Amino acid sequence: MNASMLEAKNLTVESRLADGRRLPVLSGISFALEAGKVLGLVGESGAGKSMIGRTIAQLLPPGFSVTAGSLSFAGRDLVRMGAQARRQLLGREIAFIPQEPLGALNPVMTIGAQFGEHLSRLGIRAEKRRRDEAQVLLEAVHLPRAVQLLRQYPHELSGGMCQRVLIAMAFASRPKLVIADEPTTALDATIQARIIGLMGEMRDAYGAALVFITHDLRLAAKFCDEVMVLYAGRAVEKGETRDLLSAPLHPYTRCLQLAVPSLSALDRDLFTLPGEMPGLARLAGLHGCRFARRCPNVGEICRNEEPKLSPVAPKREAACFRTEMTLDIKVPNQGIPAQPKLASPLLLVEALEKRYRSRRGLLACTELAAVDGVSFTVSENEFVGVVGESGSGKSTLAKLIIGLETPSSGRIELGGHDASDRSENARRRRLESAQMVFQDPQSALNPRRRVASIVTQVLEAAAPRLPASARQLRAEELLAEVGLSAELGARYPSQLSGGQKQRVNIARALCATPKLLIADEIVSGLDVSVQAQLIALLRRLRRELSFALLLISHDLAVVRKLCERVLVMWRGKIVEQGVTAEVFARPRHPYTRELIAAVPGE
Amino acid sequence: MRKRPMRKELSFLRSGRVTAGAILVGIVLICALFAPLLAPHDPQEQNLITTLTPPAWSTGGDPTYLLGTDSLGRDVLSRLLYGARVAMTVAVAASLGAMLIGATLAHLAGYFGGKVDWVIGRAVDVWMSFPPVVLSLVLMTGLGAGISSVILAIVLVDWTRFCRVLRAEVLVTRRQDYVAAARLVGFSHWRTLTREILPATMPLLITLFSIEMGIAVIVEAILSFVGMSVGANQSAWGQMIADARQTIYESGWNLVLPMLAIFVTVLGFNLLGDGLRRTLDPRLAQAREL
Repeated sequence: MNASMLEAKNLTVESRLADGRRLPVLSGISFALEAGKVLGLVGESGAGKSMIGRTIAQLLPPGFSVTAGSLSFAGRDLVRMGAQARRQLLGREIAFIPQEPLGALNPVMTIGAQFGEHLSRLGIRAEKRRRDEAQVLLEAVHLPRAVQLLRQYPHELSGGMCQRVLIAMAFASRPKLVIADEPTTALDATIQARIIGLMGEMRDAYGAALVFITHDLRLAAKFCDEVMVLYAGRAVEKGETRDLLSAPLHPYTRCLQLAVPSLSALDRDLFTLPGEMPGLARLAGLHGCRFARRCPNVGEICRNEEPKLSPVAPKREAACFRTEMTLDIKVPNQGIPAQPKLASPLLLVEALEKRYRSRRGLLACTELAAVDGVSFTVSENEFVGVVGESGSGKSTLAKLIIGLETPSSGRIELGGHDASDRSENARRRRLESAQMVFQDPQSALNPRRRVASIVTQVLEAAAPRLPASARQLRAEELLAEVGLSAELGARYPSQLSGGQKQRVNIARALCATPKLLIADEIVSGLDVSVQAQLIALLRRLRRELSFALLLISHDLAVVRKLCERVLVMWRGKIVEQGVTAEVFARPRHPYTRELIAAVPGE
Repeated sequence: MRKRPMRKELSFLRSGRVTAGAILVGIVLICALFAPLLAPHDPQEQNLITTLTPPAWSTGGDPTYLLGTDSLGRDVLSRLLYGARVAMTVAVAASLGAMLIGATLAHLAGYFGGKVDWVIGRAVDVWMSFPPVVLSLVLMTGLGAGISSVILAIVLVDWTRFCRVLRAEVLVTRRQDYVAAARLVGFSHWRTLTREILPATMPLLITLFSIEMGIAVIVEAILSFVGMSVGANQSAWGQMIADARQTIYESGWNLVLPMLAIFVTVLGFNLLGDGLRRTLDPRLAQAREL
């Protein structure tokens, strides 16, 4: 057995509050990572997985500190190391691949200049040698035209290209350890697969150990040798990837796994894990197992005693008293989804086009078609998915239908009325039959309004003289519909979690009881358990309120789960459309095939 | 869990600025409002026997004239108190006017964009290309001296400041999805502007207003210094400084006191503005909630 490259023993990180109280952020984390291996840290946001990466880099936020245990890199203690010695290590022997590739590159310097600066720090002084080296490294990450690329600025490259540049830079120093913190979360699925493949290649070429932080179990399954699942600052399960994911021992891992939608498992419903992970402040007063409140297998002992992470099988550790019951967790049957009324078309889009003009220089003008001759229909109570990578015109299509953008040509008919009529009356009529749920709940909810006022905004516009009590009543009704307690109505959006915000977002759109809901990426960027909750919510609301949904998403599995029909968009055109199951099982267009191949775990 | 914990020193400092500024401004405001009650003498009453009396605490001082008298034997304290009236009237009226014009145009430009934005933007550009001092002097010559002319001149020169700064803020808010969402639930443009955008720009508006009041006090002092503000039968701080120039070697106090009054007032407004910016800034406010 090799000596471990990175080893944590009982690592504990605490946050000190203003009043002197200490809250555990990470407690008793132990792992050992050998050279050439990949360790996956998996968990929902707030589980503490990024905190481990930050501890290694010693980039803990103010007030956070390591209070017990040790963390060593190739035999050297990282926690008690001096700042000078650590600087020698970071960026040389330990490299990082960040989450937001565009944010990590300096926008005013060319790729070449940034690469050169990094290489000169590594001790390559001669200008020409640095250029040659950079070229070799960029070619190793399969970037074409490396020479030209070095003269370009970050904004001229796509997100995937920037991430490749950063991977090339990370491996420039032949590091022994690479920390990748959600390196593909900000990227499209098609690029995601290539980036993961590339990181695997680089690992093989340089023999580095990799710590891969992700919230996506499917990605971890594809890429990691070993996986550690974290929950509320504790490791709940650890083991070799194949064993762990084929037969999870901790209920949390099992629930996460069942909550992930899949392209192939057709008739399986998603498991919806109730509630949310306890926040930092609530952890301190918690007794027993931290997962007990949400665990389907919870027993008496779980509420009183905290299970330790202990070996249960060869190379398997789990922190649960009742591991033998874990595999019995099954998805409850959620009923048959409502059937669409295919006879009556609700939305009719014909030869829709949207062109943007971009100025280049004084006279030259190029036209770009964001949406290029799109035609389709959506029937009443039908769920239709629109898939495609970013830049394919999905979001523009949504804005055209709802009327936030004006089409260049073509026809949109909504509930029998021509939607291109720009008059105020036509606008109101359109908004009564169609509503939109925005992608980013952070930006879609006015931070200065209370939740109750946000969800009933429609009433404010339609009936300004409505008494406050009637409005409050409707707010409570709507909150109950989306599964939120009435007391949340008095809060501000900043006091809600990501999943709660998205529910408020949906509740607002439902207030006018629209016939068509247009949802732009409403479940992407959320944790799998929250995502499963929202999918279940949409299916329930469809039964109760009966509306049609146009779901825009880059996540094929989510579309597969929710929608009867799917439109595949590529460069502004619909290249394929049909019944979801058929399109995904027998894709005809090469682009659809590429999209499906990129979905991890299939 | 990644949020920074609030530092205690900072929150103290933040509220400290607002209180300090509010106290200074409050004192000046009380002086202005109650000048007839507080002033021991008529500010215009000349007493040619007791000219250039030093303040009461220095040698040769007269306790009836607490801060001494000027070259015409008028009581300096009373003149300062009445001067505060002029300063505060100008500060409030001029800032309010500049804010109304600037903020309205800024919201229209930032919200509607396109041609509206272009027209307003160019108007601001042209307006700002005149040197402000020259513009105000030209305006004053055209409008004639007097306090209402001073107010009008400040409004006409300074609305561009509100317009420029606020337009950028409106643009940022306009891009938020919640503004689009408000339109989608059927809000009219007017309702979207007043209910969704204005609350977001309000903190900046208040801050700019407070700073503008400080600027208005200075401009009024400059204009009254060159004799273009209030007439000789009223007292203003700039006028007092102008008068005191002749006797600067005999009585420095006459020069220093009105300057001190201007200094304290402007400092108060600036502290208040800065403090309000810090407390009302949504980014900082959000950090405080956690």
